[in-house]
Amino acid sequence: MKKQEIVLGLMVFLIFIGMQNSVAQLSGRQIMEKVYYLPSGDDTQGQLTMILENKQGEQRIRKLNQYIVNMGDTEKKIMFFVSPADVKGTSFMNWSYTGGKEDDQWIYLPALKRTKRISSGSKGDYFMGSDFTYDDLGDRHPDMDNHKLLKEETIDGRPCYVIESTPKDEDYMYSKTITWVMKDNLVGLQREFYDEDGDLLKTLTIHKFEKINGFWTILKTEMKNVQKDHRTIIEFSNVQINQGIPSSKFTERSMSLGQ
Amino acid sequence: MKNKKVKWIAWLIMAIVLLGSVYFIIGIKKHARMETNLDEYMPKNHPAFVYSDIAEEWFNIKDGILIAIENKDGIYNTTSLQKIKDITKELERMEAFDENDIMSLYTADNITGSEYGMEVESFYRSVPDNYEKIENLRRNVKNNDMVYGRLISEDETVALIVAGMADSTFTQSLYQKIIDFTMSFESDDDVIYVAGRPIVEGTLGLLGPADMKRMVPIVIILIIIVLYILLQSVRATTATILTVFLSSIWTFGLMAHLNIPIYSVSTMIPVMLIAIGVAYGIYFYNNLIHFFQQNPEETRLEAIMYSTKKLFKPLSMAAFTTIIGFLSLLTSQVYPIKYFGLFTAFGILVAFLLTMLLIPAFTLLVGFRLRNKKVPDVDIDEAKKNRITDLLLKNSKPVYLGFGLIILISIIGLTRIWINSSFLDKFASDSDIVLTDAFVNSKFGGTSTLNVILESNKADVFKNPEILKLIDSLQNKTEMLAEVGNSFSLTDYLKRMNKVMNADDISYYKIPETSDLVAQYLLLYEMSGDPENLTKVVNYDYDRINVTFQLKGDDSKTINTAIRSIESFRDDIESHGIEMSYAGSGYKALIFTDLILAGQVSSIILSLILVLILLIVMFRSWKAGLIGSIPIIITAMISFGVMGLLNIPLSTTTALLSSIAIGIGIDYSIHFIQNYKTGIKNFATRHEAIHHTMKQTGKAILFNAIVVITGFMVLLFSVFPPNRTLGALVAMNMFTSFIGTLTIMMILLYKSRVFLMKK
Repeated sequence: MKKQEIVLGLMVFLIFIGMQNSVAQLSGRQIMEKVYYLPSGDDTQGQLTMILENKQGEQRIRKLNQYIVNMGDTEKKIMFFVSPADVKGTSFMNWSYTGGKEDDQWIYLPALKRTKRISSGSKGDYFMGSDFTYDDLGDRHPDMDNHKLLKEETIDGRPCYVIESTPKDEDYMYSKTITWVMKDNLVGLQREFYDEDGDLLKTLTIHKFEKINGFWTILKTEMKNVQKDHRTIIEFSNVQINQGIPSSKFTERSMSLGQ
Repeated sequence: MKNKKVKWIAWLIMAIVLLGSVYFIIGIKKHARMETNLDEYMPKNHPAFVYSDIAEEWFNIKDGILIAIENKDGIYNTTSLQKIKDITKELERMEAFDENDIMSLYTADNITGSEYGMEVESFYRSVPDNYEKIENLRRNVKNNDMVYGRLISEDETVALIVAGMADSTFTQSLYQKIIDFTMSFESDDDVIYVAGRPIVEGTLGLLGPADMKRMVPIVIILIIIVLYILLQSVRATTATILTVFLSSIWTFGLMAHLNIPIYSVSTMIPVMLIAIGVAYGIYFYNNLIHFFQQNPEETRLEAIMYSTKKLFKPLSMAAFTTIIGFLSLLTSQVYPIKYFGLFTAFGILVAFLLTMLLIPAFTLLVGFRLRNKKVPDVDIDEAKKNRITDLLLKNSKPVYLGFGLIILISIIGLTRIWINSSFLDKFASDSDIVLTDAFVNSKFGGTSTLNVILESNKADVFKNPEILKLIDSLQNKTEMLAEVGNSFSLTDYLKRMNKVMNADDISYYKIPETSDLVAQYLLLYEMSGDPENLTKVVNYDYDRINVTFQLKGDDSKTINTAIRSIESFRDDIESHGIEMSYAGSGYKALIFTDLILAGQVSSIILSLILVLILLIVMFRSWKAGLIGSIPIIITAMISFGVMGLLNIPLSTTTALLSSIAIGIGIDYSIHFIQNYKTGIKNFATRHEAIHHTMKQTGKAILFNAIVVITGFMVLLFSVFPPNRTLGALVAMNMFTSFIGTLTIMMILLYKSRVFLMKK
């Protein structure tokens, strides 16, 4: 029996080691796929605070209520400005489609009492004067890049994979990105964006994340453009996931109601 | 024995001078550098500059290079549009430019609207290749006031690309690179023009020194020839020129060793040293020749001893006074001017020491032969001079009257004098750069810019329609001026958006009625346009905005005309608690010129006072002091007066030229008065004394004037107008100093009976 126990113990140990190895042997691509397919809720709502800070240290602070619903091939998002006071009631709606169709976007200006469609522009455009491009805010499919696991590193006491992703499309706005993915939950913790010349352009840092309703949710994130010395902080509060949002929320009429 | 010892000393002097020269030449070779960055000239702590620099940082205000593509058959064709795209993309890649600050039809945002919505997109990405697409582009441009007339000329034959410099260092190699690069796009159909302040500055930095390099050798050769004709001796000419040369080399060598860069005004130092240094050599040989003529049997050593001894007092007095005069420039707020004063003073000290040491040593070792020993010739010469002197003394009243008249006319000229900070005006009116500038100005808003910065301490002030309307009328009124092309600010975005959001109805091309609508339009722009553009016109807190005016010229008159119109809104703007200031390189240049001139005027007055005091102390007579300062005053007055009358604007270089008046004026009067003073002791009557002085000092002064005037007259043939002006003004200053000393000062000195008491 003793022998058996030892053998069993050894086997468990070997399996454990083997598992460790197999996890370690995950390729960069596999990790990025896991990150991409990390489950997220079908709908999310909450308050969003966006702080833009320029190199003079001046800040622009905007508070919005945000609703997002994922309907499979369509993601609908609507945002209502709460402050500053002079834009209160302004709303912005975005429908994005999988499969390459251009986004539809609307804006409602209460001072004009009219809803207007606006051009979606390209994925490389910066979102609302922030340091995030539309592309940075969305999920980029792992097929679009070549991934390489560079190393493993511990940041703020959190063991991470460090993965370098190089776009297959040479004309992409970044020449490469380097992502730190936490080993335990496969949530991205930090990302560096390099410009066309290969110089560091921006750094994305996740400051706060929580599991809400069973889903890992980022609650505070910061994007810093190191070349322009400009940064954007986005904070989410009162986040509710899978609480159900009526589809009437994502209509032009809803926009003009201001909530 | 004595002879040997003296010779040994002479060799020692030669060796020391040689060693010193080697030391300074090494310094020049190793450390000398030209300062071409004009920002380095500005006093960094002056409030106007401090403010402008901060504002430039806030709004990313930069000097832009303007590249214009002209196609006489119309710019809307595939090839020309391709060139606009290629040049734009290439400029974005160049390190020297801010890739986010290249404006062209290719990068411009086209804000368009319809009943359906609003779109902000580019005019074209891939170059339109068929008639329909091109027509569509043409229509879009024509409908967009933010582009039409700004990036595409109204006659549709010229497109403009404006590239902001990444930093202000503009080197000559970069200049060449830009010219080569843009010109590679030129073809039979497409003519390329390059303009803008950096190009003007770059060409200036290239053309001025290049022209000087060509002209200076001719000036020097001519001076050598004339000097030889007058002195009749190769050796004397060599020694004199050597003194001038070495004093310049030592001065620049010291500058290099002290790691002080060569500023553009520093190039005036050799001009001063030539004008003054040549005189020093002439005085020495004049004395030497005089001694030999009187004592043909004496040895060379005796002659040298005599000359050196006789020259020491007046020369040291003259050098000391001139040095003090130049040191008064240290009161200037502008560092290049301070250095100019300091190092010219050093150069004069060197010239003085070399004249007192090197020339005697050189003459002793190399020898000196009096070519013309025929005394009768000299006698005729002298008799003639006596006649002129007597004629002048007899006709003192007409001379006074004549000078009175000249001074009066000069005063009229003085009131007309104007300052010009323009770089463009330094070029000939038919030069390429001026023609290009005029061309771009005729097709577009203007090649020069003036920034008006409005600032409040209340956030969101610039979302208030009332204030935006005030700014709009400020822009409209100022744009009416012929000197102002167009203007650009936050109001232009808002008017355009208001129109677009109201189905392109032209009656909505105005400031929105409520501040909420303003805020919402701006938010909309941020969401759909390039928010980077807004940072150039307004800050995050909406309490600071930048209004850019495009001007047709960079000269002080144009800038001041625009400023006058803008200033008429000051009270109204300030009544809203908003401060108004100016920024940009054109404005800085204006302030800088004012600063230089204010400093220049005050330092001239200061040096006049110092010189007057020194003269009074040195001659121990207030009368002699006052009389001695007459040539300086006359020269300075006429110099400025003529500039006013001939409409020559004051600039950094022309203003500095007045120092020549002081340097030369002092020199002439001190030598003349000192010689007269000793003459009174040696001769029976003051009449004889004045005759003697006129013969001896008068001749030296005449020689010096002839040499320098002929030399600098060469510059009149320069292709670079500032160098022409320089030549003319140096020649004129030399001439008036010479005339002033030998006529009115001589008469006054004689009539005042000064120094007679001591006899």
